[in-house]
Amino acid sequence: MQQTLKRKSGFDLSLVWKVFGGALFVYLFLGFMVLPCLNTLTSIFTTKDAAGNADPLAVIRFFFAGNMPSFVINSLKLAVCLVITVNVVGISIVLLTEYFDIKGAKILRLGYMTTLIYSGVALVTGYQFLYDNNGMLTQWLVNLFPQMNRQWFSGFSAVLFTMTFACTSNHALFLRNAIRGIDYNTVEAARNMGAKPFKVLLKVVMPTLLPTLFSLTVMTFITGLCAMSAPTLLGYNSINPEIVRLAGSSVADEAFPQARAALLSIILALFTIVLLTTLNHYERKGHYLSVSKTKAKLVKQKIQNPVWNVVAHAYAYVLFLIYMTPVVMIVLFAFQNWPAIRAKSLNLSSWTLVNFFGTQDYSFTTSRGKQKLREGVISGVFSNADTVGGIRLSFVLSALAAALACVIVVVAVNYIFKHRNKKRAAIVEACLLFPWLLPTILICYSFRIFFNNEVWYVLGKNMYYRENVRFLIVMAYTVVKLPFALRMVKAAFYAIDDELEDAARNLGASSLVTFLRVKLPIVLPSVLAVFALNFNALFTEYDMSATFHSSYGKSYAMVIQSMTAEEGRDGYNMNGSGRRCASTVFIMLVSGLILYLVYGVGARDLGERLERRKKRREFLARLTGKKTAQGG
Amino acid sequence: MIQLTDIVVKFDDFEALHNINVHVKEGEFFTFLGPSGCGKTTTLRTITGFIEPVSGTVKMQGQDITHVPIEKRNIGIVFQSYALFPTMTVHDNIAFGLKIKKLPKPEIEQKIQTIARKVDLSDEQLAKAVSQLSGGQQQRVAIARALVTEPAIICMDEPLSNLDAKLRVQLRNELKKMQREFGITTIYVTHDQEEALTLSDRIAVFNKGYIEQIGTPNEVYNHSKTEFVANFIGDINPLGAGVVKGLGLPEGKHHFIRLERVRVNRPKDAGEFQTPGVIENREYYGLYIKYYINAAGQTIKVIEKNDGINIYEPGETVTIGVHPQDVMSY
Repeated sequence: MQQTLKRKSGFDLSLVWKVFGGALFVYLFLGFMVLPCLNTLTSIFTTKDAAGNADPLAVIRFFFAGNMPSFVINSLKLAVCLVITVNVVGISIVLLTEYFDIKGAKILRLGYMTTLIYSGVALVTGYQFLYDNNGMLTQWLVNLFPQMNRQWFSGFSAVLFTMTFACTSNHALFLRNAIRGIDYNTVEAARNMGAKPFKVLLKVVMPTLLPTLFSLTVMTFITGLCAMSAPTLLGYNSINPEIVRLAGSSVADEAFPQARAALLSIILALFTIVLLTTLNHYERKGHYLSVSKTKAKLVKQKIQNPVWNVVAHAYAYVLFLIYMTPVVMIVLFAFQNWPAIRAKSLNLSSWTLVNFFGTQDYSFTTSRGKQKLREGVISGVFSNADTVGGIRLSFVLSALAAALACVIVVVAVNYIFKHRNKKRAAIVEACLLFPWLLPTILICYSFRIFFNNEVWYVLGKNMYYRENVRFLIVMAYTVVKLPFALRMVKAAFYAIDDELEDAARNLGASSLVTFLRVKLPIVLPSVLAVFALNFNALFTEYDMSATFHSSYGKSYAMVIQSMTAEEGRDGYNMNGSGRRCASTVFIMLVSGLILYLVYGVGARDLGERLERRKKRREFLARLTGKKTAQGG
Repeated sequence: MIQLTDIVVKFDDFEALHNINVHVKEGEFFTFLGPSGCGKTTTLRTITGFIEPVSGTVKMQGQDITHVPIEKRNIGIVFQSYALFPTMTVHDNIAFGLKIKKLPKPEIEQKIQTIARKVDLSDEQLAKAVSQLSGGQQQRVAIARALVTEPAIICMDEPLSNLDAKLRVQLRNELKKMQREFGITTIYVTHDQEEALTLSDRIAVFNKGYIEQIGTPNEVYNHSKTEFVANFIGDINPLGAGVVKGLGLPEGKHHFIRLERVRVNRPKDAGEFQTPGVIENREYYGLYIKYYINAAGQTIKVIEKNDGINIYEPGETVTIGVHPQDVMSY
């Protein structure tokens, strides 16, 4: 009797959970994905003319009459050029480090991989610092080539140059994996049948890389279309900066700015949807998977022709220099005092830590010849109130959003796997993948406009108002990171052998105990990795917080960006650039640590961890043993 | 001990098991043998409770357990993949079931020590992660984990199929030895007839959801009840019209004879049918040689021990003989 009672109450409880969970899911999906975006879509057609009459097609007419297409064309131009340059550089760096036998490949690879920890606003401002008209590297270049245009680093060329080297991270990760997956026996077979090395590369190696290259091309194209920080900071009129500008504009200044912003973001969304659908369709057709069961490891190919060999080496090291110089310079300048930084020349006798810690006063003579002292205007990353505030805000918001995305996805994936092959599982999955189709800016812009009113389902409050915007940022961060989290966590769940669950049940464990003690420990490393990677990306993100453009949601990246402005006027913000360099060093350390934890520590299985623990103990024992021996 | 009566299992419209009846006796090593998709694993999963039959009963020690939840059945399982928990050490894997049962800690430790000694796992190995063990050691952990909770019977689902040939034979012997020592009732699933014949006390041969025959290895091999069993287990010669006529067997049936039962160049026994044949080809196996002999209008395969006496060259003429009592007819 007791047992049946227990069972019954347990059943009811699970029903309550199901209803509650389902309702929450629908609330979040409709409230924070569908409705705001739908509002953006409809706002295009709700414009009014000067007399106050509805004129649904006004924006469309405006689009064809005004300069709006130029933003679209500029974005497309950037995307197309970027596809070419990023592929050339991306394929080069992978072939040079993984396929050809280039001396010093390990060091080269480290250099090419720096974009994994040095990216976003930090990278753009770093490049700007070094390459703009009086930048240090431009100065070097001008010394080398006196005819050179000092202003070369602005507008389109600057954006293209910066993004070309900033966007090869995916090539470095995925193309490298693809090339490592090649069965070397196929290369040997081709050589054996008389193919020359270049022919082998073209006919045997490249075709197996094509699917990866296609995916990378589509992703690069979308990155180019949706570029935000580089065009904003370097001054290029592409779609995203224009949307942000229009979103902050008012009807008093220009014709229906919001509707125009909405139209541009919808155009961006259409491009993204078409591209991703094509990609998805292509990926479904299947890949050229290696058919062999016993793969041979790729042996690096020596370039036989001495001339080509020298050319390849030179090319590799020039690329290395392009990648490494900004990183090295930024690190060095982070430890330089403000006069050296302002002069943009390294001063080997003026090292300082003030860009990181502590403050210094600044005294100067005014134009009237008075001596003035400004207290504490030279301040480090960790003692400047603005910067610390930005770090703290970004830290909290990113951690919250990354955790929220993980929780949602783990619960959802557990549900999806329980109801495999059922329609509702497919629906849940589709809902979570939905944000993937939408450009980040569309989501943030929609949030900004839609919640800048009293919305009934968020307690009737204006969520864009003052501190409330932080809630919106967390929600936007979460929504944007859901698809990635879903793909990763789902892959982790696939790794759970069904027999493990059977075994646990057979040994007497309930399904909750099975989930907590057997399944969760298996997926936990992946979940933590997803958390860390999402946190890492959000902690330094610029595009989203810049779209919200609220002084209550000033992210770390926005603070970094503001350090480039108005430096040193009347003795304020004296070491803005120094602090920015120091910030970049700090970000590189954080990102490096996170990537090490994820791919280094997190990837170890229990066996490897036990092995390491044993070695540590042996080492300690030897150490203490020696000490006792010495003491004795 | 375990009695399956009229078990029917359906997956949607597909009937996977049709009226399965099996009685496994106490202490017996009982094997479910059959090709893949024949229903042997389904039957095993019905016993362990992962599958609930549409009709029929599962009884253990006289008690109906058809609807008893998996975890309350007291049946140990060794899975095909071993299903060892990768996030736990060997020790924690073995302790898992005992901890779920909430046994006191000293008792858990004592039980683990006892079982570890029995299956030959050292303390050092107990502290290791599963991934640090070899295939053979992993199998011993899986067995220890299944046995430590003292189940009434133990079920093994193709536990040797992941191993290479040499290790398979070695572990097969260890498995049999362990089963004899523990004296535990064992149900073993395999598609490997050699494994079934060497290990089992009795074998149930499955085909398409039916049991074709239950019997000792000798019964199943030498007195196969159906044509399927005769063909599935071991190699066999179907007899053509010439031999059938010579032996005076009825013509409407199919007749078979095992390879080792065909006699070559032997003096004629009473009732034996003999006919001349020509060696077409031979395959050298080391331990024995297989000859393909053209006789009585068909090719007959014959096994001869490689003892240096009965060696024939291709083209050589020999006499083959068949005893009517060695022929299986269906």
